[in-house]
Amino acid sequence: MLETLQLTKKFNGHVAVNQLDLRVAPGEIFALLGPNGAGKTTTINCFLGFLAPDSGEARVNGKSVAADPLAARRQIAYIPEQVVLYPRFTGVENLDYFSTLAGRRHTQEELLALLKKAGLPNEAAERRVGTYSKGMRQKVGIALALATEAKALLLDEPTSGLDPAASHEFSVLLRKLAGDGVAVLMATHDLFRAREDATRVGILVHGRLAVEYAASEIKNVDLEKLYLKHLSA
Amino acid sequence: MILPIARKEFLDAWRDGRFRWAAAIMVALLGVALLLAWQQGQRTRAERTAAATLERENWLNQGEKNSHSAGHYGVYVFKPAAPFAVFDRGLEPFVGTTVFLEAHRQNQAAFLPAQDATAMRRFGELTAATGLQLLAPLLIVLLTFGALAGERERGTLRQVLSLGVRPRDLVLGKALGLGGALLALLLPVAVIGAVALGKLPGADAAGGWLRSAWLGGAYALYLAAILAACLAVSAIASTARAALAILLVCWAANAILAPRLASDLVQRVLPTPKLAEFETAMNKAVQEGMDGHNPRNERLQEFAQQTLKKHGKTRIEELPFNFNGLVMLESERMAGEVFDHHFGKFWNRLEAQDRAVTWTGLAAPLLALRSASMALAGTDFTQHRHFAVAAEQHRRDYVRVLNEDMMNSPPGHHGGVVGRELWEKLPAFRYDPPPPAHSVRAAMPGLMVLLLWVAGAWAALLLVAPKLKPN
Repeated sequence: MLETLQLTKKFNGHVAVNQLDLRVAPGEIFALLGPNGAGKTTTINCFLGFLAPDSGEARVNGKSVAADPLAARRQIAYIPEQVVLYPRFTGVENLDYFSTLAGRRHTQEELLALLKKAGLPNEAAERRVGTYSKGMRQKVGIALALATEAKALLLDEPTSGLDPAASHEFSVLLRKLAGDGVAVLMATHDLFRAREDATRVGILVHGRLAVEYAASEIKNVDLEKLYLKHLSA
Repeated sequence: MILPIARKEFLDAWRDGRFRWAAAIMVALLGVALLLAWQQGQRTRAERTAAATLERENWLNQGEKNSHSAGHYGVYVFKPAAPFAVFDRGLEPFVGTTVFLEAHRQNQAAFLPAQDATAMRRFGELTAATGLQLLAPLLIVLLTFGALAGERERGTLRQVLSLGVRPRDLVLGKALGLGGALLALLLPVAVIGAVALGKLPGADAAGGWLRSAWLGGAYALYLAAILAACLAVSAIASTARAALAILLVCWAANAILAPRLASDLVQRVLPTPKLAEFETAMNKAVQEGMDGHNPRNERLQEFAQQTLKKHGKTRIEELPFNFNGLVMLESERMAGEVFDHHFGKFWNRLEAQDRAVTWTGLAAPLLALRSASMALAGTDFTQHRHFAVAAEQHRRDYVRVLNEDMMNSPPGHHGGVVGRELWEKLPAFRYDPPPPAHSVRAAMPGLMVLLLWVAGAWAALLLVAPKLKPN
């Protein structure tokens, strides 16, 4: 479970995240919408322990991130906007390295199977990643989430720059992970994917959660209109 | 966690074509430098052996003359080439290789190899030591500048840290992996070099393996300090480009600027006299006594009186030996005191300068390494001094034999005519270089400074590691 309690983070007096209360339960996909600078990435950084909150706290499975950031990170899989891999290594070598760092050892066969499950065929997995498209790199990121059996998944603009087919494949995998009980927090500008995949959607404005909708509430509404309305409010 | 990171870094470095090219160039340069120096070493050794043999022949075949003339005929002695000069020539090009031994004078070693060099030497000389001192750090810079700053810039640092990796483990893993890549590159060269050096004539006597091991240790300390310092810079630099710029400036400061600054500074603080001043002062002391108030003639007159009194005679001609020979012995003894004082003071000053330069290595580790390296290779000033003292001792022994012969010859101005029988009584100069323990002692200050660098650089790296943050 991912949770923030009155989380506040300031940069040189500017409030980036303002008393944010957020809760993503296991099996949920929470889409965090908001304009650039609304505090989405700052929130993710607080979950990862890369930023210390000025007040309030971020929790992973009930444990304070600030108290033990390393322990929190070991329960999280993180997929940034650009999954960056080591270009002189193959996909499977990258996955082996990252999963080993996360404390999970897998055989070569298991790693290939995980990549395949994430949508990367063996032929591509055994190729150096220098030639990978963004979609392929995102798949390695998903495979890593599978390999580490993370309890929570943090996504920062994961579908930005993906073509529709790759974006669709990605969301299928995401839903599969949520179906396995992973709590997913996805910061995104992709309103379409948010409506398609999220179980709940929140709109962050000036570091505050302006509004929060359940999936059923936005099924038949124009999410873009709703989003713009909250931004201009 | 450290080992998987080290393994990945090791593989990544070896898969990097830039590293492979740079490594190949460096290994080729080291190999060429060793080979050329090895050939030159063989040539020098052969030349000096031939010259020593010829000089001995000249001495033995100088013909008949009185022993005092033989003292002025003199003899050249040659400094044997230190086997490890093949690795590090140290001061060899700048100190003389030959000493002319003659009566009444202690000459400085002459015929500096640097005098025979072309103007190209101004650009420096490529030896295996300079390759390791200058190029290996450059390779470390190229290997490390992006190790952390680049990962931060690309975003992999964020991913790695998001997995719960301790920053300290990451930094240590990188140091181990990159150090391993460098070791895999240099170790075969070092082993081949050590074996080749071990096969050089005289290397066994010079404690070949022991010197190799100490040299290996000194260079390992130097490179370990530089590796840690480079990683620390990469950890705090905002971008890989900034890290590269900082490291290149540091490299230039260490490799180019520091040696010149240090020698200028030390010459200013601990100046040495000009050669002409030194010789004038010494000649004056020979003539007028060390205090300048005890002229040589008066001292010798007094000596004559004491000798007559001791033998109960009133005239020189009554003495049972050739008094001129005894005077020569006495004047050599008096001059010897002056030489010991002046040369001792001069050499002590040169050694103090070397020590000061070594301690300026606290600001630039190359200075400490150079000092340790040339000491361990047997090419530093302390070993040159050892040779000069041995040559002077040989001069005194041979002049003493000649003067004793004069003393025991029939009375007359400079004794009777003598020949090959006496010349053969004087053994050829044989120089035994100091044992490795002497070199290790001389290298100790440099090694201490390098140890301080290792401790400081690694402490700095471990200090900045916890502050490692992604963008």
